[in-house]
Amino acid sequence: MNTDISKMRNIGISAHIDSGKTTLTERILFYCKKIHSIHEVRGKDGVGATMDSMELEKERGITIASAATSVNWKGFDINIIDTPGHVDFTIEVERALRVLDGAVLVLCSVAGVQSQSITVDRQMKRYNVPRIAFVNKCDRTGADPLKVKDQLIEKLGHNAVMIQLPIGLEDKHEGIIDLVTMKAVYFRGPDGEDIVVTDIPSDLLAEAEEKREELLDVVSMFSDELMEAMMEENVTEEMIHDAIRKGTLTQELTPVCLGSAYKNKGVQSLLDATTRYLPDPTEVTNIALDLDNDEKEIILESSLEKPNVALAFKLEDGQYGQLTYIRVYQGHIKKGSELYNTRSRRKFKVGRLIKMHSDHMEDITEAECGDIAALFGVECASGDTFVQTGLNYSMTSMFVPSPVISLAISPTDKKAADNMAKALNRFTKEDPTFRTFVDKESNQTIIQGMGELHLEVYIERMKREYAAEVEIGQPQVAYREAISKVAEFNYTHKKQSGGSGQYGRVAGFMEPLSEGEYEFVNKIKGGSIPTEYIPACDKGFKSSLEKGSLIGFPIVGVKVTINDGQSHTVDSSDMAFQLAARGAFKEAYLKAKPVILEPIMKVAIEGPTEFQGNVFGAINQRRGIIVSSADEGTFSTVDAEVPLSEMFGFSTTLRSLTQGKAEFSMEFLKYGKVPKGISEELIKEYEEKRKKEAGK
Amino acid sequence: MVRSELNKRSPLRVFEKSIKGGVGKGHIGVLASKKGVGKTACLVHIATDKLFRDRHVIHVSFSQKVDHIINWYEDIFKEIAKKRELEDAVDIHDEIITNRVIMNFNSQGTTIDQVLTSLRAMISDGNFPADSVIFDGYDLASSSTEDFGKLKAFAKEVEIEVWISASLKGEAPVFNDNGVPEELENKINDLDVLITLKYEGDHVHFQVIKDHDTLEPKEMTLKLDPKTLLIARE
Ligand SMILES: Nc1nc2c(ncn2[C@@H]2O[C@H](COP(=O)(O)OP(=O)(O)O)[C@@H](O)[C@H]2O)c(=O)[nH]1
Ligand SMILES: [Mg+2]
Repeated sequence: MNTDISKMRNIGISAHIDSGKTTLTERILFYCKKIHSIHEVRGKDGVGATMDSMELEKERGITIASAATSVNWKGFDINIIDTPGHVDFTIEVERALRVLDGAVLVLCSVAGVQSQSITVDRQMKRYNVPRIAFVNKCDRTGADPLKVKDQLIEKLGHNAVMIQLPIGLEDKHEGIIDLVTMKAVYFRGPDGEDIVVTDIPSDLLAEAEEKREELLDVVSMFSDELMEAMMEENVTEEMIHDAIRKGTLTQELTPVCLGSAYKNKGVQSLLDATTRYLPDPTEVTNIALDLDNDEKEIILESSLEKPNVALAFKLEDGQYGQLTYIRVYQGHIKKGSELYNTRSRRKFKVGRLIKMHSDHMEDITEAECGDIAALFGVECASGDTFVQTGLNYSMTSMFVPSPVISLAISPTDKKAADNMAKALNRFTKEDPTFRTFVDKESNQTIIQGMGELHLEVYIERMKREYAAEVEIGQPQVAYREAISKVAEFNYTHKKQSGGSGQYGRVAGFMEPLSEGEYEFVNKIKGGSIPTEYIPACDKGFKSSLEKGSLIGFPIVGVKVTINDGQSHTVDSSDMAFQLAARGAFKEAYLKAKPVILEPIMKVAIEGPTEFQGNVFGAINQRRGIIVSSADEGTFSTVDAEVPLSEMFGFSTTLRSLTQGKAEFSMEFLKYGKVPKGISEELIKEYEEKRKKEAGK
Repeated sequence: MVRSELNKRSPLRVFEKSIKGGVGKGHIGVLASKKGVGKTACLVHIATDKLFRDRHVIHVSFSQKVDHIINWYEDIFKEIAKKRELEDAVDIHDEIITNRVIMNFNSQGTTIDQVLTSLRAMISDGNFPADSVIFDGYDLASSSTEDFGKLKAFAKEVEIEVWISASLKGEAPVFNDNGVPEELENKINDLDVLITLKYEGDHVHFQVIKDHDTLEPKEMTLKLDPKTLLIARE
């Protein structure tokens, strides 16, 4: 195949809900001549957009899955990677961000930079993703793309600059002025496919000239050539493109395009900007970790000659069977060749290799570095790294936060039980923040995740995609227990009457550990506990952490030091010392003044300023702390920290408090101490529950 | 050092002593200087000192981003904790910031009425028991005496102490014989405490211009530490 890698683009389109991401994506697919009719997102035909492959997603109007679709624009191969927008799905967003080389940030010309754009932008910054902006919905009443550009500067700290101006706004929005070519561009015909380029209308010329000056001033910072040409007044279009590209690649510049996806304005120009300014795969640094060499960082090379390295970034159980989407970073993966999964340490053969287009899938014989493709029927989990046999690399490990909420689910019948098992198996492979296990005591299946909505979505998917009807319990916050003081122990485990005896004594102390979950220090001198039994002590302490005695949740942040003990030549054993350690832990735990920790969420609420008081009140009622509020005239944003346990049902409350005009996003922030009153309540509840269970 | 000791030894005790124990509830204190002398650092130190003593503070700002104000607080806290070798600094930090709210107004032409409406919402609906409100970046010099009156009435009504920074225009602001900056002469009767910051050599010194009912310049035995930007004893 040997495609020209400089003509390859891997891009994501990210947006706040309802900014028009789906509409824009579909327009892009259309103009790339891959789909043949445009369906309205929520149109009467019920067909919906091609990108939102999951039904549930359509219903909610949010994008959950990250699939990749390949299109071609003027000789460029563009892979569009769908980036989920909702913060409850952070892990999916972050994984998608790993495989993108650049992104289009879609903003609504009326609403401007909203809470989700802020979250997603922060993530993009972390992954060094170059961005261009598209101010959509210029046909809406109140459209003000220049204001949105200012917000990019003020709220997101971008060095944003208009590279286009609107020709008319609101219902008079007709097209754009290209500030590089200094031409007017109209999009005519029923689907906006007839591009008509003319001179700039005279009434807009003065503004266009002024904004072009601004553009040149800003972008000349990135090009000496342009700077000189400006002085000599022989600036060419190429020079401007080059300068914009340079600034964009280093993320020091965000060029701003505009239009209306819905009214078919500006999409083709955005595609031109995408291919012009966003990087090709060779212009992005990708790092792998060498597992044979202390996880040393290795910079991958986009070269066909190098051994293969690819990342499985998405699993999908679609109409075609199980697909694994991969991004190839190095080498080229051929159909029929052998790959090695460095996580599972298993080799496998590449069977069918395909590329997904919007309306069909194409069988290919090889996928080259830089490209995105999908494999059929590979046993793996998302996030796995595939390499050529002989290498042992892993793509940078991604931070996986622990789940903060859990829910008991029980299938309604035998069939549902089978289907549920299948679904859970799939989901846990797709999403490492989604976990499941069977609770030993209640024998119930528990699912865990990052928030209420996160779990809700999986329950819905179980129903729809797997026909697994389940009954659900009350959401349960993932509390933790931790100690707050130093406490000593000196415990003897002794059972020496009849049969073979057990004997072990363990002494030392436990103390709070601010970082990490558990640490074990052996300071035994003179062999008062023989070395062979030390691991048993460690194991005994460690197993004590699984379930705290306050409310039965895992204990975190404990450092245990042992400094004395005693053994018996005949009666001591691993088991005896494990039990001694458990006894010692129990003895010291309550003395160490244990406390209950709860997940605290970072919550951002955005809405009309008139409802500010209601929002403040709602946060206050939920034991929340308002960190800041930002008032921008009619709109305001409130940043708060609120315990997760208080956030159940918040979306409903917020809707009724603000006539549905406010929105919020939330993500896990940290674990924090539960206040005394509530902690006592939790302890009481736990004791009652235990009494009840004991009475059974 | 433990927290109570730190509070006792704070240079802010000296500061308060020279203005009859502080600005006081229902009153307004103004910190005036030309640009870039260190008013924000002082206000944040004043606020942090209050937080250290379990008071509740609302910090009102008029900047583009909230982040950098939060960073000011982080920096000032760190400097204090370091200087005093504060015990349990992390816990104290986490505890006291829960008593602080930052309210930022970044649209041009925000009126004092809008600010007061938001403050009221925070205090009553948000149930935030504010003791002090810090105004930084408010264009006091060009605000009308009427607006200033509204602010004063608000401070009285909800019984809070207000600190405002006033940025004096130009490189060499003009002061009258009493040490009052010309730009603030029209408000001198309504404000309760006025302190000016001036460079003397390479140090910034404080001067009390108005101390409740006394209008007579007097030196404070304090300076602004040029390295940490903390208020410190001379
Ligand atoms: N007026 C106007 N509406 C648009 C435009 N683009 C999208 N919409 C509408 O905005 C709503 C949300 O669009 P959608 O593409 O689903 O947004 P997403 O949530 O970002 O995927 C739909 O009703 C669209 O028809 C546009 O350019 N102008
Ligand atoms: Mg959508």
